[in-house]
Amino acid sequence: MRLTLPHPGSLVALAIAALVIGGFSALLMIDGEKPSLLAIGPYLTRVLIFSTTQAALSTLLSILLGVPLAFALARRRFIGREFVLSALGAVMVTPTIVTVFAVLAVYGRSGWLASLLKALGFSGDFSIFGYPGILIAHVFLNAPFIARLTLDALDTVPAEQWRLAQSLGFSPRQIFRHLDWPVLHAELPGAAVLLFLVHFKSFAIVLALGGGPSRATLEVAIYEALHVDLDFGRAAWLALIQVAICLALTLTVNRLWTRPPVSHTLRSTILRPDAADRRLYILDIGILSASLLLIAPPFLSLLAGLSHVASVLDADFAKALVTSVVIAGLAACIACILSLALASAARRLRLEMRLPRAAEIYDLLPNVLLAIPPFALTAGLFLIVRPFIEPSSAGLILLPLMNGLAAVPFIYRFFGPKLMTAGERYGRLSASLGLRGFWKLRIMDWPILRRPLGAGFAIAMALSFGDFGIIALFGGPELRTLPYLLYERLGVYRLDEAAAIGLLIVIVSFALAYLSGRLSNAAD
Amino acid sequence: MFKRFLTTLAALVLATGFAHAQTKPVLTIYTYSSFAGKYGPAKTIKERFEAICNCEVNWVTAEDAGSLVGKLRLEGQSTKADVVLGLDMNQAAEAKSLKLFAPHDTQVSGLSLPIQWQDDTFVPYDWGYYAFVYNADKLPNPPKSLKELVENPNGPKVMLQDPRTSAPGLGLLLWMRKVYGDKADDAWAQLKPRIVTFTKGWSEAYGLFLKGEADMVMSYTTSPAYHETVEKKTNYKAASFSEGHYLHVELVGMTNTTKQAELAKKFMAFVLTEPFQSAIPETNWMMPAKNPPSGPPAVFKDVIQPTKSLLFTPEEVLQNRRAFIDGWLNATSR
Repeated sequence: MRLTLPHPGSLVALAIAALVIGGFSALLMIDGEKPSLLAIGPYLTRVLIFSTTQAALSTLLSILLGVPLAFALARRRFIGREFVLSALGAVMVTPTIVTVFAVLAVYGRSGWLASLLKALGFSGDFSIFGYPGILIAHVFLNAPFIARLTLDALDTVPAEQWRLAQSLGFSPRQIFRHLDWPVLHAELPGAAVLLFLVHFKSFAIVLALGGGPSRATLEVAIYEALHVDLDFGRAAWLALIQVAICLALTLTVNRLWTRPPVSHTLRSTILRPDAADRRLYILDIGILSASLLLIAPPFLSLLAGLSHVASVLDADFAKALVTSVVIAGLAACIACILSLALASAARRLRLEMRLPRAAEIYDLLPNVLLAIPPFALTAGLFLIVRPFIEPSSAGLILLPLMNGLAAVPFIYRFFGPKLMTAGERYGRLSASLGLRGFWKLRIMDWPILRRPLGAGFAIAMALSFGDFGIIALFGGPELRTLPYLLYERLGVYRLDEAAAIGLLIVIVSFALAYLSGRLSNAAD
Repeated sequence: MFKRFLTTLAALVLATGFAHAQTKPVLTIYTYSSFAGKYGPAKTIKERFEAICNCEVNWVTAEDAGSLVGKLRLEGQSTKADVVLGLDMNQAAEAKSLKLFAPHDTQVSGLSLPIQWQDDTFVPYDWGYYAFVYNADKLPNPPKSLKELVENPNGPKVMLQDPRTSAPGLGLLLWMRKVYGDKADDAWAQLKPRIVTFTKGWSEAYGLFLKGEADMVMSYTTSPAYHETVEKKTNYKAASFSEGHYLHVELVGMTNTTKQAELAKKFMAFVLTEPFQSAIPETNWMMPAKNPPSGPPAVFKDVIQPTKSLLFTPEEVLQNRRAFIDGWLNATSR
């Protein structure tokens, strides 16, 4: 066998593994002592049980709302549909603190709902702190993400199948069984694991809306170890527990579910025949209104920031905006390239080399990235580069890199299944035509990738745009992003200006989502 | 689009390059983000110090006081900090244990602090008392003591910060210990039904209180002065508690790794002079560590004056924090 260059995806996988292992070892070794195993006390046990329950419920609810919403959007065409789709993309990247305020503006003790109930004559105090608050906030953030992902998946059902369904006169039930279910079955388990992890490590939302330290996540303990105890070894161990849980979960789901192969066909968008069904019509109207009622009010409450937008538009703001956009752009590039490389390596292992178990490792990596507290990993990497680079320059390098890595798990979900589809549909044909390298990418993958690539890029950019995890370590007058500015104002009583900055962050994310929708929505 | 992106990038790189090409010596000061923000005192202090030092002041920020120590620990001996400004007194022992700080050699006397200052590593630059802030329009009869707040089952609902992640959160934990001693955990259990939530930081808690989610919020005695001075609102007040209030002191120290030792010393001495101290009240909303000859700042004339200040030494905090937090966790997470 002749020696070939390793696949870029394998290099990426190795690089990520090296980063992670290096970062953790650096954290564990900082004191020069041998790291001791951490005992999980009764408190941590309670936290783990709560985190698991909370994450499972949040995920279940997000799916229960998000999937029907995707179906309703797939079946219906209405004015402002594109607007709604962009809004779905923007909601999930709302900075956590903005979400907390938005949810309470509607459901809080002095919120809209309370005022409405009071106006209707109901008296008495009610509180959403605890499970209701956490679940509402998580569903508000992530049901739109599930809807967006499912909608993209439903779009991949090939046109011939629709024509066949139409000519066979499929009932809506049969359509669901034979056309939609296979797609859902392929997409949802992965997405569910992803969401579970997101909820499992949700931090500021759980603390703010949880109502007490019994409702906390492992991330709080990690934060405490890193920020307050300065016990980096303990932080690393806690993070490892989180990684272990996530690995176990991902592996279990992978074992339980095997992705059905896709047939090779054309695809083009087609109006779904079940759109004409009366009962479904009523159902869809119901779902759309319910989602509107749940998601729109907190989103609208952000508009309260409008009144102070004028007072935050200054040179500081402009500079922070440019910084945010540059960092987010770089992070999105990094995230897209890494995810593409990983996904194509996984595809090669599955289709060409027939090694699905090996391919699973590549599917696992993005979830591992998600389980690692970004702050812990950044701190670890910082320790490694410390001897070589000035702290301020380290920030410039690590910030886009870490934000990019943090976005990989999300956009891998957009790319992975699509690349597999392209490979299964056209892989043999393109191999027999001798397509390789660039031309293979251009002719075989590009048409099917263009849409998810746009959506993924926008989401990666928006995720980095709203991030406040890592900038907290490196920020300063020189390196200031919009979320950083938001916290800075909040820290000196300027609540209104913080609200205005929050609104502007969401507007920019919305614009990004809208733009990517326009760019990638061209006929395919 | 791509071209513009490249231009911006190039501009950023160039700007950073030029910023480093200074001939004057640069004094790098680490602080927390709101201190160096738009409304913080950093700009004024930079101008006033540069006018006398023939140097350039460069602020580098961390998210909050907590992250400052973390940042220093990460950077270790290679830190660029010449001066670190914004440590909380409760972190002082921990910060000292990093062995990164040098003695300040500054004359610390005539302070307005309610306690004697003897530390030779850190200089206090401002201070305040923790207090529960309430809206007098909605809560006409606030509790008159911490005990009343804790023990009245029909008392007001309070918004607190998590002592594991926030300085005022830790402040209340220590305050409870000072008032209740070993019974503090029972007191927490008693207060628990009326705690709305423990937020990650002061900002969230205070914001949620202003939005009407709680009757009282853990903050500072000086908070009402902000509402009065900037917003012209007089309905926000701090409740005066008869047991006394827990003291919050913010500190500045110089590193022993600095290559600008002379400048850093000059800055440490500058901290307790009028140009620095007068920049504090209406930007950082804390009491200056040294009052001008004319007396305490006018903006704080209505601020409540606790009769007794409560305080653990930094060493006591370092020794007991873990045990206090574990007790609190057990009492409140039941």
